[in-house]
Amino acid sequence: MIPEFDWGVFLSEPWNSYQIETTMKIVGMGFLVSAACGWIGVFLIVRRMALIGDAISHSVLPGIVLAAMLFHTLSGPWIIIGAGLAGFLTTVFIEWIQKHSRIKSDAAIGIVFTSLFALGIVMVSQMKGSVHLDADCVLFGNLAEVATRNGDFILPPNMIQAAIVLGLTILLSLMFYKELLVSSFDPILARSIGIRAGLVHYGKMAWLSVIVVTAFEAVGSVIVIAMLIIPGATALLLSDKLRVALVLSLVHALLSSVIGYHLALWLNSNIPAAMVVAGLLLFGLAWVFSPSQGIIPVWMARRDFSERIALSRSGRK
Amino acid sequence: MAESESESPALEVHDLTVAYHKKPVLWGVDFEIPAGNLVGIVGPNGAGKSTLIKAAMGLLPLSSGWVEMFGEPLEENRHRVGYVPQREDIDWDFPVSVMDVVLMGRYGKLGLFKWPKKEDRRVAEESLAKVKMLPFANRQISNLSGGQQQRVFLARALAQESDMYFMDEPFAGVDAATESAIIDLLRDLKSKGKTVFVVHHDLSTVKEYFDWLILLNTRLVAHGPTEEVFNPDMLGKTYGGQLTVMTEVAEALARDDGLDATRRH
Amino acid sequence: MNWWSSERRIPVSNCYWIVAIVFLLAAPSAFAARIGDLSETTVLEQAARFFTFQDPAVRMALIGCILLGICCGLLGTFIVVRQFALVGDTLAHAVLPGIALGYLWSLEKAPLPLFIGAVAAGIIGAVVVSLIRQTTKTKRDSALGIVLGGFYGVGILLISIIQERYPRDVAGLKSFLFGSAAALNESDVWMIGIITVVSVVILVLFYGQFKVVSFDGVYARSIGISAQFFHYLLMLLLAWAVVAALQAVGVVLVSAMLIIPAATAYLLTDRLHWMLLLSTCFGILVAAVGAFLSFLGPNLPTGPFIVLTASAVFLLVFAFAPRHGLVSRWWRRLKQTRQITRENSLKAIYHLQEAGGFAEEWITIEKLSEQRHRSAEETQQEVTSLVKHGLVLRDGNRLQFSPTGKSRAAEIVRNHRLWELYLTDRANIAPDHVHDDAEKIEHILGEETIRRMEESLNLPAVDPHGSQIPQVKKEVTS
Repeated sequence: MIPEFDWGVFLSEPWNSYQIETTMKIVGMGFLVSAACGWIGVFLIVRRMALIGDAISHSVLPGIVLAAMLFHTLSGPWIIIGAGLAGFLTTVFIEWIQKHSRIKSDAAIGIVFTSLFALGIVMVSQMKGSVHLDADCVLFGNLAEVATRNGDFILPPNMIQAAIVLGLTILLSLMFYKELLVSSFDPILARSIGIRAGLVHYGKMAWLSVIVVTAFEAVGSVIVIAMLIIPGATALLLSDKLRVALVLSLVHALLSSVIGYHLALWLNSNIPAAMVVAGLLLFGLAWVFSPSQGIIPVWMARRDFSERIALSRSGRK
Repeated sequence: MAESESESPALEVHDLTVAYHKKPVLWGVDFEIPAGNLVGIVGPNGAGKSTLIKAAMGLLPLSSGWVEMFGEPLEENRHRVGYVPQREDIDWDFPVSVMDVVLMGRYGKLGLFKWPKKEDRRVAEESLAKVKMLPFANRQISNLSGGQQQRVFLARALAQESDMYFMDEPFAGVDAATESAIIDLLRDLKSKGKTVFVVHHDLSTVKEYFDWLILLNTRLVAHGPTEEVFNPDMLGKTYGGQLTVMTEVAEALARDDGLDATRRH
Repeated sequence: MNWWSSERRIPVSNCYWIVAIVFLLAAPSAFAARIGDLSETTVLEQAARFFTFQDPAVRMALIGCILLGICCGLLGTFIVVRQFALVGDTLAHAVLPGIALGYLWSLEKAPLPLFIGAVAAGIIGAVVVSLIRQTTKTKRDSALGIVLGGFYGVGILLISIIQERYPRDVAGLKSFLFGSAAALNESDVWMIGIITVVSVVILVLFYGQFKVVSFDGVYARSIGISAQFFHYLLMLLLAWAVVAALQAVGVVLVSAMLIIPAATAYLLTDRLHWMLLLSTCFGILVAAVGAFLSFLGPNLPTGPFIVLTASAVFLLVFAFAPRHGLVSRWWRRLKQTRQITRENSLKAIYHLQEAGGFAEEWITIEKLSEQRHRSAEETQQEVTSLVKHGLVLRDGNRLQFSPTGKSRAAEIVRNHRLWELYLTDRANIAPDHVHDDAEKIEHILGEETIRRMEESLNLPAVDPHGSQIPQVKKEVTS
């Protein structure tokens, strides 16, 4: 079942001169997608909005399928507009249900995103034509194929789009860092000094849709949730400073892409899923060894503490 | 400019009614507060104290009435208002340091796309020094005691360099040392001509701390200089429970579907 | 709102379903085939075949859907009232690695290994979430997100490995992702049936405990109920419901079956036992109808159709529910707005009479339109409506109160002035600020409140602006 692990074949061979281009492209695409998700994920986590990430990543599907049906492509501006629209409708529907009934936010979110996702799947099952979009793509993603596709430039078009989106994600969050920080931490102060917290929120949701869409063809709509939450959650186990956590989420994205790629080669498996598993392992390591919150350091600190108390007690006797 | 300012009150609230889900939580509140006072906002739980300061800062939709600061509409005076939130409203696990929090006080003065400058850092450090929290500048906010956390938010308000402050229960759950530090700070602000509104719970210290009072119980019971309004009669009215009739009417309003359009018909 | 204080009642009626289903299972079954392939011509005939259990080919699918509807409807109720929607979604995704391993065990779609694998993975997922929250500062939503995404990733990894190894067999495994009711066979249905029966029995036995724990965990502990035990029991039942629904609905959309039927029921009732019953009915309805729809065409995944049916039912109830529905609310609002308009016209007539010292009872329509600041046309409409409701008598261009109109007008004016007086006198509100408020409140003051105000103000005669407060003698007949 599990192939024997061969250092040469699975670790060094991908990086020799024949295969390095493919390796770089696949790992690079994985990193770009996972980094953009992880970066915005940090902002979702600190506002306790992981559920929204879950919802948006599912509910943009009908928008993607509609744009793909009309424009026969899975990258470029139309897909982004379609998905942005679906993301916007999601937030509007959720608020509408909450406003006009007694249903609480979590159930309202659950209703809206599963319904839109189901609609998307039915549309996918009816799709015929030139675009490669099927249920497998939604569930597993097509990372290897997308990353090695030929385009007009040296790099495949999806990769260029992902690189631009990652760059813009970092740039925008640095430009609006103050606004993002204060409206996440203390919305009342934000509004009292004239920052429109609602606008910041909708902007963040719209940009989240863009990121999810960019990731869609490579990793599908479900794996992307793991990429939104796991890098940020790992980073926030290791640091209690937002800026450090953001940088650490990039490190996590890079490591999980590289390790995940080798894992996939070894196990001969789906690449995005292997990257998620690698990311989960990194989270596990941080959970056990993180200096401030890790299981072992916390346990050792507690043992030291109780030993010292025991010592001081016996000393007093 | 200075002339007109000394004449117009620091805060004027006119016929202010605020409703949550159509249920009024503040009815027709009217008052004028002259500048340079320490103002205590006192009343039982659910009297609308926090609602009043949020409405005064223009953060809630008003069912009726208006608010003016220094004789001008709110919007033009945003930068002159400082705010200290209630402790429970803050997520203390949020990944920010003490310095980050205090620098937030400067954000209102920075334009879009601007990062805090050296000058802002200096103001933040001075503010921290005033509350004796400078040594903790790089600590994460969850690693502080309750009193220390409160002082960080006071430092943030100081860094805002405002003319008017709203503080939501700054004395709740703090140690005696912090309480006396806060009151020193309030007096210092007053001596500089600032107006400070403080939501307060402890009736035993009201007389000592504040020179002006707003007694609230969903409606305004009384307001004025402390020596005039702080008496058993007024306190009895404030804490004597809500008026049954007003509670009934508020419930009826919350149940009602058709009243939004009343005015036109 | 107070379903917790309602008397204990158990949704016994569900049990009859199970008896019927077990009976049907005993009948011989044939191979599954799509009804779309059969020779019927109209949808109606197909529906008749599908829903009457006549067609042995789809009997298993229909029974399976009914059972999963019961399971998800019941468990979903607790999901919705405890605000556990994300927990349901997480558990649904977390079972995937267990399914893959269970499949690997026997390399076929054998129910028992799949069941054990899925339930084990679901429970491990729930435990990991609790552990992450207990040992780190990670919040609930992130912990759930990590397990949801992470476990799903592990599941997909395993499935893709199996797929590489045994390419032929994987079609069966893939039906777990989006669901395929056609793939349900007799042994699957037996397993789902057993799950459903055991879940219902547990829910019936511990109904009271579940109710208390969902409403108030602290109180539950104070009377000796272990909230933690029932939390994990609920998680176990939830994992079972997920497994029951997996084949037909699929991993990705199971949470919809947990949330939407229960949320639909929540729109209709406040009581827990009614909600359980309604939610079960909706669950059965949408699962059966959705499965039927997916049978109508080739290659239609069942899960999405069930979910879309559920959303359609939700929308219908959302619009037409008798008390909270959009349409009934809009209708109530319209009626009330009209009533307020009529009452304002009555008040205007009263004011006109009052200005004349009540010497002249007849008022011209022009005067009324002037008083109300309305166009002649609008006033004509208002007058017509007043006459229709028997509130005024009309003589050409002139109006006069009918006896009912007169007493209603006096009531409105009294309400207005009493409220103004109350606000100025008792609530310290300035006399020049009370009018606008009274314009609203006058229409909704009840007799009880009026009586209390009159008592508190000692039957006042004059309002703060010096106008007389009319005394209203209630007629005995009304």
